[in-house]
Amino acid sequence: MAQSVKPISSPVPDAWYPTLAVFMLAIGLVVTASFFIYEATSSRRHRSLAKELITGAVASVFLGFGSLFLLLASGVYV
Amino acid sequence: MREIRLDLLLLSLALLFAPAFSDLLLSKVDRRIDLTSHVVRITSTLKVENAGTDPVSEVLLAFPDTQAKNIAYLTASTIEGKGKTKSSSVSLPIQVVHPDGMPPSLTWHSVSLLKGLSKGESLTLDVLAVFTHTLRPFPEKITQAEIQRVAFQESAYYLSPYVVKVQSLTVKHSGQFESYTKLENSRASGSEIKYGPYENLPSFSFSPIVIHLVNNQPFAVAQELVREIEISHWGNVQVTEHYNLIHGGAHITGEFSRLDYQARPHVRGASAFRNLVAKLPPRAHSIYYRDEIGNISTSNLWGDSTKKLLEIEPRYPMFGGWRTSFTIGYGLPLQDFLFQSRGIRFLNITFGCPINEVVIENLIVKVVLPEGSRDISVSVPFAVKQWEETKISHLDMVGRPVVVLEKTNVVPEHNQHFQVNYKFNNLSLLREPLMLISGFFLLFVACVIYVHSDLTISKSSTAYLAKLQWDEVQATVQQVLNIINRCLTIHGKLEASLRDLSRTGDVQACKSARKSADSSLKELSKELRPVLILLQSSSQAVQILPKVEELVAKERELQEKLMLKHSTVVDCYEKKSGGREVENRVASIQQKITALRQEVDDLLEIIDEI
Repeated sequence: MAQSVKPISSPVPDAWYPTLAVFMLAIGLVVTASFFIYEATSSRRHRSLAKELITGAVASVFLGFGSLFLLLASGVYV
Repeated sequence: MREIRLDLLLLSLALLFAPAFSDLLLSKVDRRIDLTSHVVRITSTLKVENAGTDPVSEVLLAFPDTQAKNIAYLTASTIEGKGKTKSSSVSLPIQVVHPDGMPPSLTWHSVSLLKGLSKGESLTLDVLAVFTHTLRPFPEKITQAEIQRVAFQESAYYLSPYVVKVQSLTVKHSGQFESYTKLENSRASGSEIKYGPYENLPSFSFSPIVIHLVNNQPFAVAQELVREIEISHWGNVQVTEHYNLIHGGAHITGEFSRLDYQARPHVRGASAFRNLVAKLPPRAHSIYYRDEIGNISTSNLWGDSTKKLLEIEPRYPMFGGWRTSFTIGYGLPLQDFLFQSRGIRFLNITFGCPINEVVIENLIVKVVLPEGSRDISVSVPFAVKQWEETKISHLDMVGRPVVVLEKTNVVPEHNQHFQVNYKFNNLSLLREPLMLISGFFLLFVACVIYVHSDLTISKSSTAYLAKLQWDEVQATVQQVLNIINRCLTIHGKLEASLRDLSRTGDVQACKSARKSADSSLKELSKELRPVLILLQSSSQAVQILPKVEELVAKERELQEKLMLKHSTVVDCYEKKSGGREVENRVASIQQKITALRQEVDDLLEIIDEI
């Protein structure tokens, strides 16, 4: 049995959490900014729903993982 | 004191009428009682011999009821192998039994031997019994300046249903004592009091002794300790311990003077304890110590590669009967405590509390597993009450499964490892990020819906209609501007092709660039026509229309001049004219182009502003 027992560690090394949080949040915020710029500047007739949703999805993926790593880095282990 | 002695007298009277029991006899009994802390540990080494003919498979241990109710921990072990091949000790199963015909007020524990003891054989048993609340403070109330004295009662003879041939008793204490019951063969030396050896005593021999000694050790009793162990597969085991602590020694009476205590803490506060030391695992991090008010700053932390020591100091010195409650918490690296074996994950962590010599009256251990864990089972080396509940924590949808273990009367000996086994799919790790992602995505969708929705109440009002038309005009103008900008880009390309020509002299490439520019400009002008018509038909566009038309005209002029320049230059190159001549011919056209370009840019700006 002793051979088959192996310790479990996290899928991402703990030391990377702050870096990952910073970079993913930065990317996420940039994409969010482009989303809102697009919303505010494009006129109603020439707006493409697909483009809006894709930008939103990309931004939310980055913001979601970024905030998860931010939580983990600050010690809130979810 | 008189009360205690009366109890013992009654017990010893009852014992006189008890029958002899079984064929076993104890050829040698060695008892060592440790009274140095507030937890009483009695280690007995019994040499059991079978004097009868039938093999025996169990040995009975007897405890008076007064003692038995305070037993926190009881183990019996024997050493396997004989002589020089002594191997490790094997612990034996123990259970409470109720044999018939035995005197009342005794509690029986039966030790099952691994293999029966046949005639004439002998075996050495090591029995460790740990008692709590057995040292009675005497006097029960003391002042701040007094030292704490406690009374301990036992039998000088080993209470057993078997005949005991030779026995002795050693009581170890902290060095100071007031009195002890003097029997024949009893003596006190240093920090030990010895009784015996006594020889050939019949079964159920009993001779009460009382030892009255000084004990200023911290009588730290946790009335309740809730340990919460939360596993996160993102790399952490978080332990939070809520203590409800009381000094279980002699109660303090009279006033407490902080001044006296500060001045001479060892004299005017000998019975109090100032701090407690918790021994944490070596890689513990993010350690905190707080209570309801907030952080308690009087704590210290130091450690080495094998342990981390956390010294905590309550807000006030703890005197007898005083209580305090606080919380300590720390994080542990996941890989030290969580393991996987054949698809089953298990947590392997200690059960008891990390603080030295604390008696816990009621210990509740909660193991919070990640959401999505299933097939949970627990293996604890001793009997505990167990149930399951759920806990809602950060980013949870259905709550996390919690295994709750409850045990009363816990002593440091219970600080053993226990295991919680469960199954967990790694994909469940993605629950939390997916939740965050969907939260953010909903925000974006809400924005999209808001921007797309038209919240005007009166859809027929003139202002609303005007606004709609104006929006349309704006969109159309935007289209026009787009087309003009594309034209200007093509102009740029033409200029670039001319520069290439002057550098390389490749006339063919220049001509083909001209051709492609011609065709795309034609397309653009086709595109522009319907848009302009649309703009002309709109009533809202009256204001902006002249500017737009001017822009289009200027652009067209610019286009013509550029084409002229282009064909002139190409012509010159084909005729192999000199550079000077080319410049002369183009100079006037170039002037016009620059002026027109300036005008177009100005118009673009003006329209943009409108």
